[in-house]
Amino acid sequence: MNLGLDEYINLDSPFHRWEARYKLIGLITLIFAFSFVRDLRMLLAMVGVTVAIYVISRLPASFVLRRLRFPSFFLLALVLTLPFLSGQTVVLSIGPLDVHREGLLAVLLIAIRFISILTIALVLFATTPLLTTIKAMRALGLPGIMADMALLALRYIQEIGQDLKKMQTSMRLRGFRKRRLSLYGLRTLAWLGGSILVHSYERSEWVYKAMILRGYGHAPHPRAEFQSCHRDVVTLGIFLLIAAGFITGDILFGHGVSALLQ
Amino acid sequence: MHIPDGILPISVNAGGYAATAAVTWYSIRKIKQKENPREGIPKASLLTAAFFVVSWIHIPVPPTSVHLVLNGLLGALLGYYAFPAILIGLFFQAVMFGHGGLTTLGINAVIMGLPAILAYYIFRLRKLGGKDSPKKDGAFGFLAGAVAIGVSVAIFVGILVTNLPTDFISAEVERAAIYTLAIAHLPLLGIEGTITSLLVVFLRRVRPGILDGV
Repeated sequence: MNLGLDEYINLDSPFHRWEARYKLIGLITLIFAFSFVRDLRMLLAMVGVTVAIYVISRLPASFVLRRLRFPSFFLLALVLTLPFLSGQTVVLSIGPLDVHREGLLAVLLIAIRFISILTIALVLFATTPLLTTIKAMRALGLPGIMADMALLALRYIQEIGQDLKKMQTSMRLRGFRKRRLSLYGLRTLAWLGGSILVHSYERSEWVYKAMILRGYGHAPHPRAEFQSCHRDVVTLGIFLLIAAGFITGDILFGHGVSALLQ
Repeated sequence: MHIPDGILPISVNAGGYAATAAVTWYSIRKIKQKENPREGIPKASLLTAAFFVVSWIHIPVPPTSVHLVLNGLLGALLGYYAFPAILIGLFFQAVMFGHGGLTTLGINAVIMGLPAILAYYIFRLRKLGGKDSPKKDGAFGFLAGAVAIGVSVAIFVGILVTNLPTDFISAEVERAAIYTLAIAHLPLLGIEGTITSLLVVFLRRVRPGILDGV
């Protein structure tokens, strides 16, 4: 249940071959460097680097476009409101509404940073199985309790999701329609959620017994699963330099998008 | 109610991660103080997965629909496991659906997770005075669900409005934006409270052991 995130996991690209721990450090650092950027020139460089990384990853363009659909509603709300509500300099009047330059520039900054970060995150998680990424996080110091919870939750999301689908189908077959808000509807949906929780709770008791029988708590540290080579370290060095370049560039130019266009 | 990547300045994102790291550390410390901390992990994990799935249930609020957050119920049932559970759930949502983001993971965990811990303490108050009854459990369930989502909305609106990379036309417009965002979320308080209350009563009837915590 990862919405086709592993659809292109078997492609061959430098990002698919990059060892998971180094890739995690390199691309997360780059993502944070992107979130630091406020200068328009650095935004253009950000677009260039993002496009280059995505092309090198060999993931198809349709893949990122498809995934951009999910979170874009929030962005759409900002795009539709900020130019009217934010800023002082009027660039256009539409009836009683004024469009402000500062609001437009803020939307540009938000949209470019958002799309770039989402694209890099997609390269990070679509070129390594999510299971391996979580193990890499554990190897990098994620607390054992968190890693175990994440791995178990990931394992059961799909099954519990299928349970929900079956129960919703049964409800529809029995005539339940959730067209309007009513106490009856809320109670039925609460019972649906409650049944899912009860099933999961009961399943967890069997899972715990099975885990104990398999020696849970005595497994070796997962660091041994990862083996890096010289190329992984060099690639990490390149990405850390790119990230440092973005931060340094933004500090040196020192302009927000608004100041630059004044 | 997830803040996406690209909106907040890095200082706020870093602050969110610092706060999340501190609360996660404290939660894990509390979990490790249990007699057998490993025993709770499968239960907390499967309930995390279940909450993740239950959040896909859409509630009709014409002309649209809202999805459940249930951070209040999660806090009431999981206690200190709730914060790591929410962090994991938000990570999966960011990676699988693109809801929220990686740079904002810390701040989103604060928005959802701290009220969940608050809900845990609110729900525990039901054990004070008098004997147990479904009505009492339901009332505290409503309180836990509504307060948790209310506090989440307050933190979300506060962070969003004060950290947009631009200034509003005037203080009045900023106030109006805050009120509009807050009022738009008001029905969610009632719905989350009611659903949490109904769920608590259902769980009490079907599997009361769940309400004793993980």
